[in-house]
Amino acid sequence: MSREAYVAPTSAFNTGTTVDPGPGLTTQYICGDCNQKVLLKQGDGIRCKECGHRILYKERTKRMVQFEAR
Amino acid sequence: MAPSRTSTPTQWSADFDTSRRERLFRNPPRDHTAYPALVDATQPHIQSFNALLGNGQLLAAAIRDIGTKSFLHQRPEANAAAAQDGEGLEPAQGNRLSLRIREVFVEKATIPPANKYSTKNREIYPAECRERHATYRGKLRIRLEYRVNAGQWQESVRDMGQIPIMLKTNRCHLENCTPAQLVQQKEESEEFGGYFIVNGIEKLIRMLIVSRRNFPMAIVRGSFVDRGGTYTKYGMQIRSVRPDQTSQTNVLHYLADGNITFRFSWRKNEYLVPVMMILKALVETNDREIFEGIVGNLGSQGVENTFMADRVELLLRTYKSYNLLGKARTRAYLGEKFRPVLGVPDDMKNEDVGTEFLRKVVLVHLGNVDVSQSQDIDKFKLLLFMIRKLYSLAAGDCAVDNPDAVSNQEVLLPGFLYGMLIKEKFEDWLRSVQGACEDWIRTSGATFTDPGFLRDFTSKILRRTNENIGSLVEYFLSTGNLVSSTGLDLQQTSGYTVVAEKINFYRFISHFRMVHRGSFFAQLKTTTVRKLLPESWGFLCPVHTPDGSPCGLLNHLAHKCKVTTRDLDVSPIPRLLAGLGVSDLSSASTDEKVVVQLDGRIMGFCAPEQAHTIADTLRYWKVQGSHDVPVELEIGYIQNSKGGQYPGIYLFSQAARMIRPVKYLPLDAEDSVGPFEQPYMSIACTDNEIESGESTHVEYDPTNILSIVANQTPFSDFNQSPRNMYQCQMGKQAMGTPGTSLRYRTDNKAYLLQTGQTPIVRPPLYNEYGLDNFPNGVNAVVAVISYTGYDMDDAMIINKSAHERGFGHGTIYKTKIVRLNEDRSKRSAHAVTKLFGFAANSHVPAHVRAKLDADGLPYIGSQINEGDILASCYTVTWEPTKHGFINRDGQNELHKYKDPETAFIEEVRVLGSETGNEPCQAISIKLRVPRAPVIGDKFSSRHGQKGVCSQKWPAVDMPFSESGIVPDIIINPHAFPSRMTIGMFVESLAGKSGALHGLAQDASPWRFDEDHTAGHYFGEQLRAAGYNYHGNEPMYSGITGGEFAADIYLGVVFYQRLRHMVNDKFQVRTTGPVTQLTGQPIKGRARGGGIRVGEMERDMIIPGLGCVRVAGAF
Repeated sequence: MSREAYVAPTSAFNTGTTVDPGPGLTTQYICGDCNQKVLLKQGDGIRCKECGHRILYKERTKRMVQFEAR
Repeated sequence: MAPSRTSTPTQWSADFDTSRRERLFRNPPRDHTAYPALVDATQPHIQSFNALLGNGQLLAAAIRDIGTKSFLHQRPEANAAAAQDGEGLEPAQGNRLSLRIREVFVEKATIPPANKYSTKNREIYPAECRERHATYRGKLRIRLEYRVNAGQWQESVRDMGQIPIMLKTNRCHLENCTPAQLVQQKEESEEFGGYFIVNGIEKLIRMLIVSRRNFPMAIVRGSFVDRGGTYTKYGMQIRSVRPDQTSQTNVLHYLADGNITFRFSWRKNEYLVPVMMILKALVETNDREIFEGIVGNLGSQGVENTFMADRVELLLRTYKSYNLLGKARTRAYLGEKFRPVLGVPDDMKNEDVGTEFLRKVVLVHLGNVDVSQSQDIDKFKLLLFMIRKLYSLAAGDCAVDNPDAVSNQEVLLPGFLYGMLIKEKFEDWLRSVQGACEDWIRTSGATFTDPGFLRDFTSKILRRTNENIGSLVEYFLSTGNLVSSTGLDLQQTSGYTVVAEKINFYRFISHFRMVHRGSFFAQLKTTTVRKLLPESWGFLCPVHTPDGSPCGLLNHLAHKCKVTTRDLDVSPIPRLLAGLGVSDLSSASTDEKVVVQLDGRIMGFCAPEQAHTIADTLRYWKVQGSHDVPVELEIGYIQNSKGGQYPGIYLFSQAARMIRPVKYLPLDAEDSVGPFEQPYMSIACTDNEIESGESTHVEYDPTNILSIVANQTPFSDFNQSPRNMYQCQMGKQAMGTPGTSLRYRTDNKAYLLQTGQTPIVRPPLYNEYGLDNFPNGVNAVVAVISYTGYDMDDAMIINKSAHERGFGHGTIYKTKIVRLNEDRSKRSAHAVTKLFGFAANSHVPAHVRAKLDADGLPYIGSQINEGDILASCYTVTWEPTKHGFINRDGQNELHKYKDPETAFIEEVRVLGSETGNEPCQAISIKLRVPRAPVIGDKFSSRHGQKGVCSQKWPAVDMPFSESGIVPDIIINPHAFPSRMTIGMFVESLAGKSGALHGLAQDASPWRFDEDHTAGHYFGEQLRAAGYNYHGNEPMYSGITGGEFAADIYLGVVFYQRLRHMVNDKFQVRTTGPVTQLTGQPIKGRARGGGIRVGEMERDMIIPGLGCVRVAGAF
């Protein structure tokens, strides 16, 4: 239970940040039907830009994921 | 490999067929499934649903039965005039609005037209509904016709909401999909449907046992006496079924003085009518006709039956007091009495109301729409027959029909129940239109004839009614509660639906083969309904029923048992029967004449000797397929006997009957046999048991009596029978493989066994049902030895090295939904109040940022522990000037992971709405919890031998055999003597030799006998492999290296890992939360509570352990 996730190397995120009120953060998702990459801003309608599918998957993180193997 | 041109073979052997299975798995067939047996398993569900709108057209029959509803609106002056008129109202006093439903349409699931974004494919597939936690439903529409007075019928197509659709039916996109297409649609390649998807949960309507339709059953019930002064325990009950599959039960009661009353229940109230009144209302008749119809003509033996003749005389005499002469006056009398409850228009004549009463209530299977005169005669004749049978029951001449025996039962099929529900909702809605019309008249002050009425009718009046029948049906499916004004002639109001849990495949498939007796019987103190009766042979599995409270009430169909889902074409039968000598002449004496009935219609009578010939001839014809006699016709020939069941030939051709295939010996061809006829037939179990001149049929295979799951128990004929029942339970609790489309499923909890194997020892049916696609356990080397002491009391020791190589490794997938709009009533996109992510200018602590991506959702693949953050959201308001959402408070709301177990984020689904324009309001997070076996986890063999892992013993210290084999599992020999699971020993032998020779061993029951024993057969195989004939081997202690004094029984047994794991169950606390009131620790494991040390535990501690000091603590 005491295992801890690998913490990514120091970045701006790690010290507790204030969210940038910029023109809108976009995140990339994957369409559940056609596998297209879909870029979405917060508050956008959830659908695939290509096929209009209504389920999007979050992409696997690009960060290193490593756990203590025991 | 290119897909072959030839058709996919569907025959399976008992072999492993590894490459064939692998090929099927890589290239799902493009023609049809390789496992037709699996498809057949859910046919009762699917075909009964198809009957609603397909060939059977049950909904069309339902709207015919509803008929035209008329509402009358009177001008005030007309009202006053009517009040003076005693006998009903004259027509044309007031305006009449007539309504009728002409057609019902159900569409496939599509996205609503409001969605302008989906251009390619507007169909909604089941997988999307599972993933979005939505309901798989299609639009329900009706064509409503209405007119005022005698004007033109106007029509309007009304949208009645969306009703859930059963998968793989004729309203499902998957109906005719090949396995390859199913895989494309994110389904299992062997998906067989039969269930609904409601809010992302798979639900099915379970099959219920109800009394056999259209058969007058002789009943003796003590509670009948409580109905009134002269009531006796004798009754004659018939469950009469309309063409739309709704039913109406009619009962005749025998009174102590010899009279008979007719009882029925209508809209949950019971009514009693003298039976003579109904007879006289049905047809224009006279006393002599009735007397002769019951007792028999002058000169027949029936007249000598003074018991019956006396009572019929009394029946006729007592009825004289009503002084109702002729059909018309009787009908008018009935009509007057039943006018208030039938819901007929006020201006209908009393006689017509009486006709309506007979149409709706009396023996409805013989005519319920536009009842013709000949149908009324049929009803009359059947009523006479019922009276005759009731008198002979009261006289003791005939036996009681057992309502708990399968021979007098049928199955209430899911689709039929669904149709009954929809029919009732239609009728309720039509009735509710009246109220809406009255409201309109009150507010507008106009009448039906005003031009404004027709203008407003569809736009305003119908809008006021609740047209959303879809949501009512969805409520039924999601809760299983039946909200009904009529009760649908059923005995329960809840528990109609269950979740089709996919813990493993056995569990899932069992749901579709399950038949429940009804929750009413669960409360019954007596156990008679639970008894296993010989009539069930071949229809209900004798083994596959749970132990405990549902025992015997929750049964499973035998694997070859089918349920008919349509009415057969029996039009040639009356002609054939007439040709065989069936005539109208009847008699009360069954020695003289016995009845011939077809689906509860009297076809005529014949002599008992003739009856035998008729039954045999019909059977020959039906198996032969000649004379247009359908093979699924059930020919219940009840021979004459002293005090036995009332004799006659009862033919059944309609839906909802259980049938099963057996071989008909005279033609060496397949016959289908029903439970009503089976007790009177001679069916040999095996070819050896055929008696010349006696047996007419032989079973194709004795294993046909077992259910799918019970058939998977190897060598179950060697086991004590309760152990086989336990295995049927535990097989359904094993961690296995729920399916291969696990990625597209969002079950709250899914169990997966990482290292599933095909059992070495299995019956051929294992392949026929394609169970290799869903492995349910692992083959383990099992030593039966008392070693280390850690194997006491059903504990078992697991080899630590086996564990490290993945023995029994499992995973749990949990799905958590985070919804922002808990109140789902708000629809518009601008009603959004929260969004996922972080509010602009808000401060995000480092530990939150480490877990969550910039969109406020967790990183996939990351590990989370109790208390970690799963998602973040913030409140927003719509800002029209900026055309976007803005946050005002700068606060983030965090959603935490509350489970105590470490998990990994497997998938994050961002769920959109059907319209495609709403921002994300819900996410579905799938978590993976690894569950390697730990001490305390439960395992079992397939013989009801469950045990708990007590140690993971290092391989070096495990005993080993001469060939160097170290067992994976050690179990204690004391597990066997009292439980007598010899099947496990045989499996061990067979598994060992199968592993040594590379054989898949046939483990079907009833393949061995005293002259040809299993022990010898497998012993010789072992000897051929160089092992001990008996399966014992010398073994050496892993600790001392010394040989044990005794040889150890060592073999290969298939082990299941059960889903009950300590990690879900352990409950420990030192300190923790307490209740405010008493300061005592709180209850409940989930809340960190303690386990109560109750008075019995206290009793044990104080004197037993001598802890006098602690006594004060209590």
